[in-house]
Amino acid sequence: MRETLTATTLERAPEPGETLLEIEDLRVHFHTDNGVVKAVDGVSWSIARGETLGIVGESGSGKSVSAMAVMGLVPTPPARYESGRIMFMGKDLLKADEKALRKIRGNDISMIFQDPLTSLNPVFKVGHQIAEVIQVHEKMGRIPARKLAVDLLAEVGIPNPKQRASEYPHQFSGGMRQRAMIAMALALDPVLLLADEPTTALDVTVQAQIMELLLTLQQERGTAIVLITHDLGLVASHADRVLVMYAGKVAELAGVDDIFYEPRHAYTHGLLSGLARLDVHRAERLEPIPGQPPSLIRVPSGCAFHPRCKLATQVCTDVVPELVMQDRPNHTAACHHSDQVALLVNGPAAAQHVKSAAETTAAGPPVAEAETRTS
Amino acid sequence: MTTPTRTPPNGAVPLLQVENLVKHYPITSGIVFKHKIGDVRAVDGISISISPGETLAMVGESGCGKSTTARAVLRLVEPTAGALKFEGEDITHVKAGRLRELRREMQIIFQDPYASLNPRMTVRTILSEPFKIHGMEEGNRVSELLELVGLAPEHADRYPHEFSGGQRQRVGIARALALDPKLVVCDEPVSALDVSIQAQVINLLEDLQNDRGLAYLFIAHDLSVVRHIADRVAVMYLGVIVEIADRDSIFERPAHPYTQALISAVPIPDPRKERQRKRIIISGDVPSPANPPSGCRFRTRCQKFRDELNEGERSKCIEEQPELIDRGHGHPAACHYAEVEKVL
Repeated sequence: MRETLTATTLERAPEPGETLLEIEDLRVHFHTDNGVVKAVDGVSWSIARGETLGIVGESGSGKSVSAMAVMGLVPTPPARYESGRIMFMGKDLLKADEKALRKIRGNDISMIFQDPLTSLNPVFKVGHQIAEVIQVHEKMGRIPARKLAVDLLAEVGIPNPKQRASEYPHQFSGGMRQRAMIAMALALDPVLLLADEPTTALDVTVQAQIMELLLTLQQERGTAIVLITHDLGLVASHADRVLVMYAGKVAELAGVDDIFYEPRHAYTHGLLSGLARLDVHRAERLEPIPGQPPSLIRVPSGCAFHPRCKLATQVCTDVVPELVMQDRPNHTAACHHSDQVALLVNGPAAAQHVKSAAETTAAGPPVAEAETRTS
Repeated sequence: MTTPTRTPPNGAVPLLQVENLVKHYPITSGIVFKHKIGDVRAVDGISISISPGETLAMVGESGCGKSTTARAVLRLVEPTAGALKFEGEDITHVKAGRLRELRREMQIIFQDPYASLNPRMTVRTILSEPFKIHGMEEGNRVSELLELVGLAPEHADRYPHEFSGGQRQRVGIARALALDPKLVVCDEPVSALDVSIQAQVINLLEDLQNDRGLAYLFIAHDLSVVRHIADRVAVMYLGVIVEIADRDSIFERPAHPYTQALISAVPIPDPRKERQRKRIIISGDVPSPANPPSGCRFRTRCQKFRDELNEGERSKCIEEQPELIDRGHGHPAACHYAEVEKVL
């Protein structure tokens, strides 16, 4: 076991269960020649110590930008923070200057990116790159930092760490590069880890290895993990709470079981119904959400999901739905028809009313219903 | 229980037969005096057959040879050894002229809808090209094709960059179907698409299969999609098939340790099930196909080899390459100690 580094900007260690990060009404807009891209448009979420928050959404839903904003990695301009606060242990990161941010990045909050090949520098040895992170933040010589880097590589399960430390990123396989990224992110024992599609580029067998590694590290150190992904399976197996994003806004935020068994937003329900599943053999057709995600330059009026929603009515076109508390504790959703979604989920009989006659004969009950019955 | 190799109705010939297909890429050294120092054994002796209207899925990690197989089947890469038969005709060595005729019957859909369409051609040019190449009347076919894949005929004069990823993949599908093929090789057709779009494209592929009796060779790494779309599944590891069976047998009664690990690694979108599931985690990465392990190629990562077998049993794995035969599980699996284990 390597020695634990103490570098931190925090005055005290956070208590278990204490809220680490709180994002309030964050708006990140990009001003481009074609118009204003509202990448993140009024998003609030928080994460506590030791917790895993899953953020799911399709490409262009704003899930990555909100994480990048936390790290101060969104360049301004072109981006503009129209409103919002990012409170990290009582400090507003949006008001912090670059020097303060640089201390927090790596020390207290770090990030893993999707593509480990583009996030590692191809002309430096892997060990050197990890040691650099340590040397920037710690008063430590080159040789001990290098030794620590080797220990870190061993800790994330890279065989022959000493030899591997003096190799270049291209000599590593995809899974090993991602491990090296994790070693780098964890070098200074951050309390919060932002993982942006950490396993999307990897094979499932390697994905299982990487997720297992993150889980072990989380249990050992109580790190809070924000898991950004489009894979609902990954969220189901690893997240405690789930935030569903659509077109830069929060569609639904709830505990993981509520999201999967009691969704209250038509989009969440649609995503679950359209999923091909490994464990269910369904001869029938999938029920996809029609259309495609909107361009963030021209977000539809009212509820951004209404052009693709089978429950949409006039009110959805006119009024932007508020994120409101649902019939269950700690469960919020921004849908005008959450009661009808509840019916779709819980009452197969009631659900038939909403579906068109043709669909009813062709397709079976949505997945969520099947789940409620089996569980 | 259906048998793993589905015999086509009334004893007809299978659409495609692949026998002992081998594709080796030479590793060379030296610039002036180039000489061969080894082989990357991308595909190392696989046999499959596909019946008309059937979907055979090939799954496995990256580098297992599934894409090379797909390309070798269409003779986009020349096989090193083995035989390819299309409707009974040996096509392993047919000349370019006949091959072009054959390509009307077999087409391919690529993974990346951004890279597989020429950015300087309009959709009309892209879709009418197959007719030009084969000297066929185009007529009104472009509009029909666009409608077939759920696009509007007005889209014909747009360029690929004006479409979203899902729409581009539809154009790719339309191009593959232009000449009414019997076999379509789908190389990861949905993995570059958004979740909500994937289901749309899967449904489209299924509809087209039902309407036109297409056979698919479906290459994928997403096992959830395979479970939905495939009739039979072949699991590949380092250039060989380790297990082949009909869909439900593979997922419900996998007999090869690799298949078991592969299935158990896929997270299911069901939190309660996930909390109860046992996950088999295999260590490390796929070894280099230039120098595969002796005997059973999977033994270096095999959980069974590591945890369950004794010395004597292990030496068999090291010395003897297991044959792909049925050891009493109802379907063939290439493991000396194959044993059905439920992993779902």
